[in-house]
Amino acid sequence: MIPPSRQRLLDALAHRQPDRIPIDFGGSAVTGIHVACVAALRDHYGLEQRPVRVHEPYQMLGLVDEDLRLAMGLDVTGVFPRNTMFGFPNSEWKEWDFRGQTVLVSTDFQTTVEPNGDIQIYPEGDRTAPPSGRMPMGSAFFDTIVRQPPFTEETLNVEDNLEEFSPIKDADLEHVRSSVAAAQARQCGILATFGGTAFGDIALVPAPFLKAPKGIRDVAEWYMSTSSRRDYVHKIFEHQCEVGLGNLARIHAAIGDSVDAVFLCGTDFGTQTSQFCSLRTFNDLWLPYYKAVNDWVHANTQWKCFKHSCGSVEKLFEGFIAAGFDIINPVQCSATGMDPAALKAKYGDRLVFWGGGVDTQKTLPFGTPEEVRVEVLRRCQIFSPGGGFVFDAIHNIQSGTPVANIVAMIDAVHEFNGVQHG
Amino acid sequence: MADYQKLYDAVLNGDQKTAIAATEEALAAGAGALDLITNYMVPAMDEVGRRFECEDYFVPELLLSARAMKGSLAILRPLLAAQGAQPAGRVVIGTVKGDLHDIGKNLVASMLEGGGFEVADLGADVSPEKFIAAIRERGANIVCLSALLTVTMPSMRTTIEALKVAGVRDQVKVMVGGAPVTAQFAHEIGADGYSDNANGAVTLARTLVRQSQ
Repeated sequence: MIPPSRQRLLDALAHRQPDRIPIDFGGSAVTGIHVACVAALRDHYGLEQRPVRVHEPYQMLGLVDEDLRLAMGLDVTGVFPRNTMFGFPNSEWKEWDFRGQTVLVSTDFQTTVEPNGDIQIYPEGDRTAPPSGRMPMGSAFFDTIVRQPPFTEETLNVEDNLEEFSPIKDADLEHVRSSVAAAQARQCGILATFGGTAFGDIALVPAPFLKAPKGIRDVAEWYMSTSSRRDYVHKIFEHQCEVGLGNLARIHAAIGDSVDAVFLCGTDFGTQTSQFCSLRTFNDLWLPYYKAVNDWVHANTQWKCFKHSCGSVEKLFEGFIAAGFDIINPVQCSATGMDPAALKAKYGDRLVFWGGGVDTQKTLPFGTPEEVRVEVLRRCQIFSPGGGFVFDAIHNIQSGTPVANIVAMIDAVHEFNGVQHG
Repeated sequence: MADYQKLYDAVLNGDQKTAIAATEEALAAGAGALDLITNYMVPAMDEVGRRFECEDYFVPELLLSARAMKGSLAILRPLLAAQGAQPAGRVVIGTVKGDLHDIGKNLVASMLEGGGFEVADLGADVSPEKFIAAIRERGANIVCLSALLTVTMPSMRTTIEALKVAGVRDQVKVMVGGAPVTAQFAHEIGADGYSDNANGAVTLARTLVRQSQ
């Protein structure tokens, strides 16, 4: 017997009408909740008062524990890679004062505070290495410190950009196996992130997880390289793809079809108003590698392929579909050309919309609870017919979002679903 | 009049090496710095902006052209200063306090430079005090504030308020931009203008300068 939450997700992913819209918050690093908001939600629902675990330190995402998942009525849980964005595992926890909020972080979460109050974090928890992330005063997230070694066209060596792509280690595989087992025990849908198949994800290019990254690591330099050094980028992707496919095969051999969707790539292709490249460039530079990965997944597993890209990307949707992606997230409806009704009408039978539930740049942080409710109900009305919709906000719930608005959002989905909850 | 199409093409095609070589060749042939900027580089960057608007160019191409243009400007700027040439406007630009994101800001800075403005880029995580000091030091008439995060948007309001307190608000036009920023937000915080892209920012800056003359 498949648990109801998982069945709900499976139906949505298969474009069948589920009994109600499945909801995900906390299933991945792009569908998460800032640790301050997780703490506020725990208070709101009257859950045990305890420090929240920061499972993703880059964006300071709080772990949605089982009690909170049940309190919010969420249908999806996550499986995360062993190492964080800063290259250390979350194996043991310690308390940390996050500007007045006591949270739990990995014992390898090593920081220093600058005289101006900025917090610096170190790769692999090694304070002898240069810091790879910075959280300025007034911010609530880390940003990568770009460590671009000097290079010339003559000295540029593609091998330097391949350090992070290697066969999965036994410890990582064991982590995946145990994490999947724990997720299964929660009796809900599972979104898994294994890592390694994000081609040119700009958050990963500077490699905040490496102590001394080499090759092209500067953000602007990378973007330019996708146009001016395309052969170089192709070589990186070719190697990454080959290693990634080998790792997926080993992971699948270890866990089988026990997860429902796999977050394969978070490369952002959209700005607020346009794309980072043309469909022609996408088809040349990305599609072959995406297609190789997605084709392998479809041929060998029951997993659904999850693609994240912020921004205005409707013009690339045909490319995403041709590449074999099943799911698109976060469906940034506020960006140019991303009208929800138009997207549903044109792509609703070919792409699952995992997101799009409410605007996290405007309505959720700055609107009233009633404005949130109205927007959520409308989005559910648009996206839910025939399945193909997993409710989630448009990207992570950001720090500073009023808890009343988050609760209004969740309550509105339950209202739409006709469920008495909480 | 000599034809320095090679410089125009190099900027348009984002070829920094050729742009620098073409600039040096042109100067050696007797070209004036202002002539090269006004008649070749600014039109090239205008064409880059036009291609960006019609989605023929994207961010990578914008960055490449901006880099090529900067390569030439590094050679021409000292000559320009020696001639006492006046820029289209004097801009102070930065990402506001608490925010480290700078790709969009960098693009706007480059496009403004390409548009003939003198640009002082203060970088990211810039305090109101630094903006004020730079306005005074540079004699700026345009200030551009960027923010990517919803949590740092309030720093835009704080900065504008600080400009008022410091008595420099009336000497500058304030432009704002960044992913979560809207025209409505710009109006609410008392900015003079908003653009959702780098090319639009150049048009806006030109309009604001014209209005203030």
